Amino acid sequence: MCNLRTPLFLLLLSSALSAQDSVLARLHRRADSLAREWRQANAIADLADSLEHGRAVAGRDTIAVGALRIVANPSPLPLREAAARAWPVIDTFYGTAAQDLEQRAYIIRAIDPDTTVPRARLHVGMEVPWNMTEESLVLLLISNVPVAPPDAALQEWLGGSVRPSVGALRDRAGVYVQLVTAPSQAARSCFQGRLDSCALALGLAKAPTLEAWYPSAAERRSLVMTAFTDYFDHGATVAAYRSCAAGSDSACTGLLRSLPQGTLPRPLGADARVTLVHLVLRLGGREAYRRLLAGRDVPIGARLAAAAGVSQDSLLARWREEIIAARPSAVALPPWGFLFALGWVAIFAGCGLRSSRWRLG
Amino acid sequence: MYRVILYSQWKWSRLIVLLGTITGFALPIISLQGAAGADRNPLAAQELLRAVQSWGTLYPVLATTLGLLAAIATWAPDHRGRHIHALSLPLPRWRYVLLRFAAGVTVLVGPIVAVLLGAVLATALATIPPGLQGYPLALALRFALALLVAYAVFFAVSAGTTRTAGIILGVIAAVIVVQIVAGVANVELDLWGKLALVILNWPGPLAVFTGRWMLVDV
Repeated sequence: MCNLRTPLFLLLLSSALSAQDSVLARLHRRADSLAREWRQANAIADLADSLEHGRAVAGRDTIAVGALRIVANPSPLPLREAAARAWPVIDTFYGTAAQDLEQRAYIIRAIDPDTTVPRARLHVGMEVPWNMTEESLVLLLISNVPVAPPDAALQEWLGGSVRPSVGALRDRAGVYVQLVTAPSQAARSCFQGRLDSCALALGLAKAPTLEAWYPSAAERRSLVMTAFTDYFDHGATVAAYRSCAAGSDSACTGLLRSLPQGTLPRPLGADARVTLVHLVLRLGGREAYRRLLAGRDVPIGARLAAAAGVSQDSLLARWREEIIAARPSAVALPPWGFLFALGWVAIFAGCGLRSSRWRLG
Repeated sequence: MYRVILYSQWKWSRLIVLLGTITGFALPIISLQGAAGADRNPLAAQELLRAVQSWGTLYPVLATTLGLLAAIATWAPDHRGRHIHALSLPLPRWRYVLLRFAAGVTVLVGPIVAVLLGAVLATALATIPPGLQGYPLALALRFALALLVAYAVFFAVSAGTTRTAGIILGVIAAVIVVQIVAGVANVELDLWGKLALVILNWPGPLAVFTGRWMLVDV
């Protein structure tokens, strides 16, 4: 009996292995087929983009100011004047790299803001009503510089391309508010002067993990309760969510660990990282942007420090000083508000004095 | 004469003033109660600001209510007595009105001081997270100005005749009617919006009521 068992087992094992082999081969074939489809789809999308680009620039004027190139249809838009005002800002921001913009034109289609006539859809460039003011156009050009996207690592860290700000002081004031209100010990310690915490809060630490970003149970619970209520408060995670809400740290940690990779929010938002990059470009001079793009294989913190030409700690200390200096003024009365309010009191009291109630006859 | 008028003003409005004083003292303390308690998570700064902002909407409401009730109390006995007492006094009319106004302002000092004391006490006792600050003086000053403006507006309306009140209401109704007619006729005329902008923004008369009333802020 025992002798029969071994060949039977081997027979079953071999058939299972051959079945597994065929499944693997089938999956390989499907993966290859999907890759072929994906390449074809990409080629078609590139062709469509190219045709669309050709359609968008056909029969248009090109305006050149500095290295800026604007391809636009004839319209009353003050594009040249706006570009003349935007160019110095862009040139100062990107330094020598701004010259690359000669190859990357803005595509603008000026449209009649009052017409209801349907127009052809344009998937390239920007549609702008032709009564837009010069001031608004300048802001539009500055905040939509057609700069080449940076490498994936920088883009992922920053949350997009590096672009100039149209309200630097306001941006820094917003980051100040984040620094003091974010439910994160790292952000609070950064505010109180710990530079390693600033690096952590800005996502510059070498191996950021859930515990590094949100070390205390209170932070993790606060994160689940404030940022992921809608995400976790239904379906299979509802029990864990309720348990987390009731104070179970293991439930909160489990929920946060179940998030897809890269979706755990950093203690400080993208605005904070953008202000850091802007500081880097200011400190590093005209070659700073090129240096920032150069070190693709280097950690982000080191890239920023190299681009700025200072150590990472000096950079973070300077950034922290700037953010704290930009503390927004608390909502209060304007300096002359007191006088105006008293003036109105006097005026209304005067109206009371002039009442006609006692006029006789 | 001022003391006599002040006494009569106090007699007529003491209940309003007492209630206003108690509410004014309690409001800042309640607004920070719980949100900034010692057992509260110090990282919950956003929740604290949200709570302070929500409670903050009650300050202009309190100022308006107190101003309205105090102004009504100032003139109600005169209206009831058909102004015979006032006319029998050896005073020019403007001086009598001024004395009434000053007496009303004097009794409203109580709620203003109460808000100041309540705000100072609340911020002193609260655990405020680092980076946030208490603004008891600014809040009390703003409350004082809002209360005075509200009192002055309602004082002027109460001092007027029914005809004056009718004219004011008529003007407001005319603006609304013009706005509605313009909307129906598809005419681009935002009279109401412009009027609100003028009144509610500095240097407009009601600008002091707008904005965030924050006892604790960044």
